[in-house]
Amino acid sequence: MKTTLKQRLVIGSLAVMGFVPLIVMTIKNAQGDSALSKLKVADPPVGSQDSPPPPKEKIDYSPYPRQTFPNRVYFGDTHLHTAYSADAGMIGNTLGPEEAYRFARGEKVISSKGLPAQLGRPLDFLVVSDHAENLGLAPALAEGNPELLKTEWGKMQYDLVKQGNPASKGKAFDNWGAGLMALKDPLKEQTGLAADMWKREIAAAEKYNEPGRFTAFIAFEWTSGPLGANLHRNIIFRDGGDKPGQIIPISTYDTEDPEKLWQWMADYETKTGGRALAIPHGGNLSNGLMFDDVTLTSKKPFDRDYADRRMRWEPLYEVTQMKGDAETHPMLSTRDEFANFERWDRGSFGPQPKTPDMLPKEYARETLKRGLAYEAKLGVNPFKFGLIGGTDSHTSLATAEENNFFGKVVGVEPSANPLRFNEVISGRPGPDKAKMYARETSASGLAAVWSRGNTREALWDAMARKEVYATTGTRLVVRVFSGYDFTAKDLERSDFAEYCYQSGVPMGGDLKDAPAGKAPSFLIRAMRDADGANLDRIQIVKGWLDASGKTQEQVYDVSWSGNRKPGKDGKLPAVGNTVNVKEATYSNSIGAPYLTAYWKDPAFDPKLRAFYYVRVLEIPTPRWTTYDAKVFGVKLPTDVPSSIQDRAYTSPIWYTPGK
Amino acid sequence: MKRFLNEPLLHFLLIGAGLFLVYSLISKPGADAPGSIVVTSGQVERLATTFTKTWQRPPTEAEMKGLIDEWVREEIATREAIALGLDRDDSVIRRRLRQKLEFVAADLAAQTEPTDADLNAYLQAHPEKFREELRYTFEQIYLDPTKHGANLTKDATALLAKLKQSGEKVDPKTLGDPFLLENQFSDASGSDIGTQFGQSFATKFAQLTSGEWQGAIESGYGLHLIFIRERTPGKLPSLADVRAIVRREWSDARRVDAKIRFYDELLKRYTVTIEPPKPTMPPKTVAMKGAETP
Repeated sequence: MKTTLKQRLVIGSLAVMGFVPLIVMTIKNAQGDSALSKLKVADPPVGSQDSPPPPKEKIDYSPYPRQTFPNRVYFGDTHLHTAYSADAGMIGNTLGPEEAYRFARGEKVISSKGLPAQLGRPLDFLVVSDHAENLGLAPALAEGNPELLKTEWGKMQYDLVKQGNPASKGKAFDNWGAGLMALKDPLKEQTGLAADMWKREIAAAEKYNEPGRFTAFIAFEWTSGPLGANLHRNIIFRDGGDKPGQIIPISTYDTEDPEKLWQWMADYETKTGGRALAIPHGGNLSNGLMFDDVTLTSKKPFDRDYADRRMRWEPLYEVTQMKGDAETHPMLSTRDEFANFERWDRGSFGPQPKTPDMLPKEYARETLKRGLAYEAKLGVNPFKFGLIGGTDSHTSLATAEENNFFGKVVGVEPSANPLRFNEVISGRPGPDKAKMYARETSASGLAAVWSRGNTREALWDAMARKEVYATTGTRLVVRVFSGYDFTAKDLERSDFAEYCYQSGVPMGGDLKDAPAGKAPSFLIRAMRDADGANLDRIQIVKGWLDASGKTQEQVYDVSWSGNRKPGKDGKLPAVGNTVNVKEATYSNSIGAPYLTAYWKDPAFDPKLRAFYYVRVLEIPTPRWTTYDAKVFGVKLPTDVPSSIQDRAYTSPIWYTPGK
Repeated sequence: MKRFLNEPLLHFLLIGAGLFLVYSLISKPGADAPGSIVVTSGQVERLATTFTKTWQRPPTEAEMKGLIDEWVREEIATREAIALGLDRDDSVIRRRLRQKLEFVAADLAAQTEPTDADLNAYLQAHPEKFREELRYTFEQIYLDPTKHGANLTKDATALLAKLKQSGEKVDPKTLGDPFLLENQFSDASGSDIGTQFGQSFATKFAQLTSGEWQGAIESGYGLHLIFIRERTPGKLPSLADVRAIVRREWSDARRVDAKIRFYDELLKRYTVTIEPPKPTMPPKTVAMKGAETP
């Protein structure tokens, strides 16, 4: 090859004059100047459910402009990682936030492993929640970011990654992990890098956020994990880029204590006038710390102030995701035949084994029950959270469908490679029996939000008021209201939603001080995923604090498909199973596309605190491992079920007695 | 010509040449001579800053001298090594140089600010990306298969006849069975309908005409009678309405394209000769031509 002297000199002069950083800065400015504000907002801002209903009028055409209640479910993922998360980018994820948004919006994207990937139906919104801990480390290494290379550690990592062999790349990843475990930020002084990477994340969200069409939230994950116990939280901003642009995300290097996180969030709101909420997740991998009965650092029992703060900042809990279901555990809900679902209960990310005493402090249902006891004691319930779902995918691809599942990490993207089933996902430092394997990963979950419009503000407000539910990947739709004056006939009302908002409360709401002789009654409508499996049944899960101060729970079947009759033991026969395991097919010849229920609590005591949430079960469909076995011609693993009943969990409605 | 002016490579060469020119003008005569090394004040400052960041204090005079000596040694070593051609068969250095060059090219591609004419051309060339969908304002009446059983189709036909008689005067809310989806939809796009009623329903829906009760059409939930009141035709928005989105899509396409174009352009200036494995054959000359870009 010939290269001229001129060419060499040109390149040389570019490098000598520090040209590269100059360009990077120019781009940043160009992206920061977003023209999105010119876009029209398609939907009116959502009204609070507490605002007075529109005046009753005679039948008129197109009453919508005057209605303010949420009229539609928007589906999205509140938990997705891209190459900007060190534990994704350092192990093969090359797709950044832009690709993540493109994929969520329904476009075809080439995965990090080179596979074409596309969702059957686009999502309505996406939360890119990259780990704050050394945000953007992998892209910074890939581009030889000058800020990163200013540090010895950055240079060492850079050299390892540049060597390009699996061993050196693995070593670079381990170096990062060791710093995280030791809580030593290797780039502590290098705030320029963190600020730059955070600005890029914001710029990507601003670019893809299109009010009315697709919502891209600005967010990050705070990855607290004392001794490997999962205390992670996703922090989601309601705001446009100008406000989060004034801060740099807090990380677990700064603090492992959620109370400090809440203080940081309070400071953010004071400083910027913005709004933020946190969604904790993975309690089942927290070894009893997620919903412990004492504070994390001082190990003090909760007081009213703690309860207030916790609920101020953490209105929701992520009850299902790829690393298992966190609704309840068979040892906690011994009479619940559907409790044993996609269970991940062998430990944490650390070496400490799981013991049964940890379980009550890890699962949502038990914690909601314990919250009632706290409320009786403190006057405030520290665990009054709604339920939502997310994927926690680390592939930049938000997939939660059984037949379109790209796995937890890039290394287990779809293929016939045995690693797809056998890779160890958690419990590495522990004994073999504490390990969880890729085949046990759940193709889950989704966040479903009742809203009147698809905007950051409208969706965030719905999350803050808990008018949301979780699904394990299906897009089934469920709506529940509770009040004291509902009757079975109201199920047939043509103005169902409008009437129910006037006369009752939706999921996430509160009932107080029942009038004499009245009990809460519930109106539920549920329909299957428009392009999915039929429904098996609707259930109400009730938890309460009995007169002796003990927590109790009961699951009621309140509506089901077909002519099934409960047996003498009160148990409803199973819906059946049409799954052909060999062919990975099922049929909607069983179940119902649409179910409704009216239910009045038969055991209501107005003096006792209680909560009620709805669980909707689909008929059995092939699990993702079954689809894999068929498509790739591999052996079906024997330690996971071949079919599962995907489901939805609504946020609870709480009953609180008067003084 | 327009396109040529937008070429990252052209920018790259022009900026590089410009810098080279400025550099030679401001440098002392002879600064580029093989035997001369100039440590600029800016370079000294950079060395001091890096030291300070690492050690949390400024360097002492002795340390500063050491840093400068070290930099000079590095500079000499680099020049000598390049003169000896030591960079040429080192794969690590070659890879790094290539990466630097590609980053410069990619940055330039991303930096290029499109004109309205560029964006308009992109908008017209990719209408499917920007077209506003056809929107429907309609009413629907649902018939629940579990309530009607074997009479479902018969009941739907009877209800449709009744609706056609009473025309627009009827309130759909008073007919049919209760359902989770609303009876009235305003300005719903085809994809909104697909998301809420299912894809096959949306396909059938698109065939319906406006101004009269029609159906029944089937969804996964049961049967639906439909009255379309209004269709707002889809249109290609003007650039002013969607400029930010067009710019985003334009830059994304450009980013994907940049590397291919970059090498395509450079390749034009090279003749690549691939020698066949057997030395007995005369070398074959192949003019490699890059893939045509759209």
